[in-house]
Amino acid sequence: MLKNNEFQSKLLAEAKNAGFSEAEIYYEKSSSFHCTIFEGAIDSYETAEEGGIGFRGLYNGKMGYAYTEKVDDDSIAFLIHQAKENASILDEDDGTTIFEGSEQYNTHSFYNEALANVPNEEKIALIQSIEKKVLAYDPRIVTLNYCVIQDFSTERAIANDKGLSIDEKRNGLVVFVSAVAKDGEEMKTGSAVKMTRDFNSIDADVFTKEVAEEALSHLGEQSIPTKKYPVVMRHDASASLLSTFSPIYSAENTQKDQSLLKGKVGQTIASSAYTLVDDPSHPDSLRGTNFDGEGVATKKQTIVSEGKLETLFHNRKTAQKDGVETTGHARKSSYKGTLSVAPINLYIAPGLKSKEDLIASIQDGVLITGLAGLHSGANTISGDFSVAATGFHIQDGQITAPVKQMTIAGNYFDYLKQIEEVGADLEFSPGGYGSPSLLVKELSVTVDH
Amino acid sequence: MIKQSIIENVLEAALSTGGDFSEVFIEDRYANSIGLQDGKIEQSISGRDFGIGIRIFSGLQNVYTYTTDFSEEGLVKAAKRAALAIKSGGNGSIHPLQKEIIQPIHHIEKWPRTVAHTQRVAVMKQANTIARNYDERIHQVGIRYIDEEQNVLIANSEGKFVEDTRVRSRLAMQTTASDGAELQTGFYGPGAYAGFEFIENLNLHHYAGEAARIAVTMLEADECPSGKFPVIIDNEFGGVIFHEACGHGLEATSVAKNNSVFANRIGERVAPEIVTYIDDGTIPNEWGSLNIDDEGEKTRKNVLIENGILKGYLIDKFNARRMNAEATGSSRRQSYRYNPTSRMTNTYIAPGQSTPDEIIAATENGIYAKYMGGGSVNPATGDYNFAVSEAYLVKDGKIDRPVRGATLIGNGAKTLQKVDMVGNNLGHGAGMCGSLSGSLPVNVGQPMIRVSEITVGGTKGE
Repeated sequence: MLKNNEFQSKLLAEAKNAGFSEAEIYYEKSSSFHCTIFEGAIDSYETAEEGGIGFRGLYNGKMGYAYTEKVDDDSIAFLIHQAKENASILDEDDGTTIFEGSEQYNTHSFYNEALANVPNEEKIALIQSIEKKVLAYDPRIVTLNYCVIQDFSTERAIANDKGLSIDEKRNGLVVFVSAVAKDGEEMKTGSAVKMTRDFNSIDADVFTKEVAEEALSHLGEQSIPTKKYPVVMRHDASASLLSTFSPIYSAENTQKDQSLLKGKVGQTIASSAYTLVDDPSHPDSLRGTNFDGEGVATKKQTIVSEGKLETLFHNRKTAQKDGVETTGHARKSSYKGTLSVAPINLYIAPGLKSKEDLIASIQDGVLITGLAGLHSGANTISGDFSVAATGFHIQDGQITAPVKQMTIAGNYFDYLKQIEEVGADLEFSPGGYGSPSLLVKELSVTVDH
Repeated sequence: MIKQSIIENVLEAALSTGGDFSEVFIEDRYANSIGLQDGKIEQSISGRDFGIGIRIFSGLQNVYTYTTDFSEEGLVKAAKRAALAIKSGGNGSIHPLQKEIIQPIHHIEKWPRTVAHTQRVAVMKQANTIARNYDERIHQVGIRYIDEEQNVLIANSEGKFVEDTRVRSRLAMQTTASDGAELQTGFYGPGAYAGFEFIENLNLHHYAGEAARIAVTMLEADECPSGKFPVIIDNEFGGVIFHEACGHGLEATSVAKNNSVFANRIGERVAPEIVTYIDDGTIPNEWGSLNIDDEGEKTRKNVLIENGILKGYLIDKFNARRMNAEATGSSRRQSYRYNPTSRMTNTYIAPGQSTPDEIIAATENGIYAKYMGGGSVNPATGDYNFAVSEAYLVKDGKIDRPVRGATLIGNGAKTLQKVDMVGNNLGHGAGMCGSLSGSLPVNVGQPMIRVSEITVGGTKGE
């Protein structure tokens, strides 16, 4: 289906006949493998091949969208009819157009041929060995509630009647394991994730230790007083908070009065320790790309420089509204989506100190290692968050004990100003957000007693 | 959707290496999504999802594959390739397919494909006007309309052959209120297993008005105190707490592997006598309802907890093998892209004896959670958290000031034990539930409930 030139030219020609002044086709085709192991056996084994076509076109100056996964003779008429009806109800011509293409594109590769050639049997053997090692690590590890290996390979292409025709391939592998540790009545889980394009880079022993220690470390929980504490936000917890609040940097949201960063470009919005970068080709993330959802060439950009907001994320439509250049942040979640605005590989630039150094600077505080309920307990519009957290008590610069169930609460815009130091341990989450551990002046911590 | 002979060939190819069960799930879905912002329709997309999922069991091995290639050759190839994952040789064979006719229990009046976009837009604009006119501090209104018609065909090697059409419609309204410095939001999103008649007949003044009222109320709210309080949770969407706190723990997905605090406890007391917890996929036209589940089993009313005693779980065909139990019509998947597993449909706490007034009057110093946001749970430990989108302090038996930023945390099994009052005003609320087999429409429901003690996280301190 990808680069099916006959289908493509027929659809574009029919669109012209139907009254579309500009038109674009977005293709995607992907394959994936997913395997979970339970007690040595293959619990589930999944393979997939899928693809679809997204069509959009300007009809009476308005952009109509439609998509289909059933690609047959009838689908051209279906796409054109649906896109036309969708365009017709839009309230105004908002200036969106189809893009003719950037002058130059980076040529980073996001595809590893060697990974594509690893047989599924080898992937299964690896995840089976990890399960075995984690279960054998300590008698208190009683079971694994997730033990998964998965890979993906995706091709996508954009073609339009302005002459643009670009495509890209991407692949990657993810291992995710969550272990359940039990001591008496107390039960805790701990997990680890590894993403890579290099199959040989996964060391089963190193990974096992990470999962098992994470689960075991939470046993022996204690309660601490509910109050405001200085906090070390571990890299993974910090990345999940960044991911949740990244929509505040979207120009689409500022233009709709859905972000308090409206009108703040050029102003200080965070502490001077805070620098935020979007790097579409960062090697530690699996989400890289050389062009965005409307075909604009991507590039590395600083979003917040030492606390100062340098730019928002733009696509061509939001850039035109604000009178600036697009930043190449048009997001098309798939052929089934309309265009929005989102980062690619967004990360907090690392500093020099280790996580241990950050912990050592605290007298009485908390190390946060995980956050839950961000989808409901964090409001990206008001900035308020109040979410469940896991972590440890820090006393006199040392981790003393895991803390019972707790919540942390604050306002993200205040939080950005309270970041006192940034660690050196930058890591990416599977969603494409990265962070080192951060030292935060204080947050409200409520602990179950 | 696909010729019976092709389906038979695919089911057979799937068993070619010795699997003992094979299944085909064919999905053809038409969906519309329209977005309104700033008073204007600014986004509209429609499309057709089409794909085929093939599943093979061999004992306790579960192989799944899916494809959008619907040619006979492509499907047989996909089935054979999936079958290669089965190593142990059994001698699976297929029974002749017996077409089963479904008597729909959910009446659909206005099918989405017969409705013009302009009709959808008219309702959205009306909701927008109502929300905006509610208060001058309403600053932004976002409205999303979605509907879908999902046609499924499910056939398996045991001879099952069944087709069904599911229709769902939803109107989600989000408001933002501003007093110049701060922004606060409100949300209401009614949905049903119904056609456009549901949208047309919605009481927009109530729903859009409430979405606006919540945002404005939260502008005036104090910070929520933290600590342990008796918590009164209102009806309808308030049921999300028990969805997270115990619903997920009753799904075979976690029970079958003993990853749930409720595993191996049938017949035991897990809640006070006033608590009866039910999952019922048959309630006419409710958002989480289905005629048949995604394995083709008829949905039913499953009593999970009866007067505090654990009676049953939600079980799918595969986990039924591990549990040596019967499937309960509870197997669901978001689409052909997902291997199905046991999930909730419409889950609710049955009504009790107390009136809402009695419950509030009986509470000296507590929190009243009027509208819930969402939440999540760690099924292995039962630890849950969720956000309250509209909360009040309760003082001396009366509702006091609104408070913001309340998060409830706790352990499902323990919270269940602490339910000490159950109201008589059962209501259902529509939500989306994300888990292993994707994001699914579910209803959560309950009458007003009081829990004697929950840890409340807030910004204000104790």
